[in-house]
Amino acid sequence: MQTNLSTNPKQGRSVNDAFASHFAKSMFLSILALGILTFIGTRMFTHIDLNLYGYMIGTIVFIGGFFYRFIAWGERPPTKIIIKKGLKQLFRKSTPKTAAEHLVTYKFIWHRGIYRWLQHFLIGGGCILSCFVTFPLVFGWMYFTMDDNGYYTVVGLGMNLMKVSADGIIAFFFYNALNITAVMVITGVCMALYRRLKNMQARAEQKFMYDFLPLYMLLFISVTGLLLTFMNVVLHGWGQPVMSLIHQFSVIVTLIYLPFGKLAHIPFRPMSVFARNYREHYSEEAEKECKVCGSHFVSVEQSQDVIDVLGLNNMEFFKKEGFHLAELCLPCRRKYRIAQFSGIATHEIKVKEANQNAKG
Amino acid sequence: MKKRLYLELENCIGCRSCLAACTQCGGHEERNRNYVYDVNPLVNRQTMPLMCLHCVNPACARSCPAQAIQIHETGAVLSALVEKCIGCQNCTIACPYGIPKFDTEQNLMYKCDLCIDRSKDGIPPMCASVCPSNTLQWLTDEEIEAKQKQFNLDNGKWVTSMPYLEGETNVRVNLPGILQGVTKLF
Ligand code: SF4
Ligand code: SF4
Ligand code: SF4
Repeated sequence: MQTNLSTNPKQGRSVNDAFASHFAKSMFLSILALGILTFIGTRMFTHIDLNLYGYMIGTIVFIGGFFYRFIAWGERPPTKIIIKKGLKQLFRKSTPKTAAEHLVTYKFIWHRGIYRWLQHFLIGGGCILSCFVTFPLVFGWMYFTMDDNGYYTVVGLGMNLMKVSADGIIAFFFYNALNITAVMVITGVCMALYRRLKNMQARAEQKFMYDFLPLYMLLFISVTGLLLTFMNVVLHGWGQPVMSLIHQFSVIVTLIYLPFGKLAHIPFRPMSVFARNYREHYSEEAEKECKVCGSHFVSVEQSQDVIDVLGLNNMEFFKKEGFHLAELCLPCRRKYRIAQFSGIATHEIKVKEANQNAKG
Repeated sequence: MKKRLYLELENCIGCRSCLAACTQCGGHEERNRNYVYDVNPLVNRQTMPLMCLHCVNPACARSCPAQAIQIHETGAVLSALVEKCIGCQNCTIACPYGIPKFDTEQNLMYKCDLCIDRSKDGIPPMCASVCPSNTLQWLTDEEIEAKQKQFNLDNGKWVTSMPYLEGETNVRVNLPGILQGVTKLF
């Protein structure tokens, strides 16, 4: 049913035939990419930090889960359209700005409320920064060497990037990056938990597995991470090996859970940039005119895509008046329904819909 | 006991209490998600409400690329999950009744969720609780059947479905007597 969208009959035997599924192919390619990057980054595997190999396993399992979810999800007709057409518009001029607003500053969440924004910024920023620090270390894409006394050389992908003084300010941030992000995440998670416990509405909608578990997991990771630092600095390493294992274990469990629960929105979020580009691009090309009142309400392309998707789901809203319901602007579509109920052609009466917002 | 939202369209007096009540539902952030229309504005004062009918096979959810529109176990078609909605607005184009609303600044769709925090526990949704004219009611299937008997209509036209709606819905709509050519007795 779903494959109608991209039937490609002329495709003969290609590399794709070598793999049983999209899944196997994506999995193979990404592990290959990881392997190559690690090979380069570790200067041919000479600088691997074996303490971190648990994370490697965790990452690979995560990638498997992620592709499994992503491919199942991408098979759905509407998703397929957004991915395909969004990719084509990837290099629009506005992409960097849209991406920054959607993925870094979370401007849309600001409009949903400042408390929510702060909470999301702390958790999101903390998690993403931690990943940027941890994973290059895990795969050896980045490591430190000390050639001269008192100076670290930062090595990124096999190249010497810079020299930093071992007790300078930059080094301080390198050592403490994960402590800072842990504090960010803990603060954010506490804000989120507080909102959920205090706000009756939020409480009514929450499910433990979906809403609370990921928060507790992030909390657990951050607290065990901070405890590691504490044990190093204050207890001179006492209990550190055990805590290190607990911490690693919590990270791995979270990575495995990540593609399935609420946190799955992190890897899927870039889709919102695709969606924005798709809407902007096709609106510039041609706007759809409402078949009743003639006003522009969406791009021609999107209206047609929605009609196609509904068709694939066996929903044909073609009316005897000669239009599909997805070709009417929203007010006309609502009035058209009232017309079906009353027998009076409300949608053809040129009066603007009155007072729909309960404001007096 | 499972109850449904049930609409008796021609009772509507246009007071817009349902719009005001909807703003007060949990999580709605003071914005209503339903509509009240003048049927023939230049001629008379008849109004009718229009709300999400909670389709059994919802076009909005089928067209959503992000699977942001979830269907609750009670059959209610929920508003977009805030973390999943990618703001494509497919749902607003797909819904045959034009129900979902979109906030461009928040990049988020919002629609009637049948006041799920209330209706999942059997409490009537806000709009049905306040409607002074019994246009919006919260009834069991037996009560709806009893209504049908009371109105004594055996012509199969009593509850709207095809061809007045585009598919099966969880909300039941009672066709107005005007259209059926009968006068209802209360
Ligand atoms: S009436 Fe529209 S918004 Fe409501 S469930 Fe059906 S398709 Fe979705
Ligand atoms: S606007 Fe949001 S809820 Fe609506 S179809 Fe797009 S992603 Fe789904
Ligand atoms: S059921 Fe609740 S959310 Fe839906 S229109 Fe009524 S008050 Fe609004």
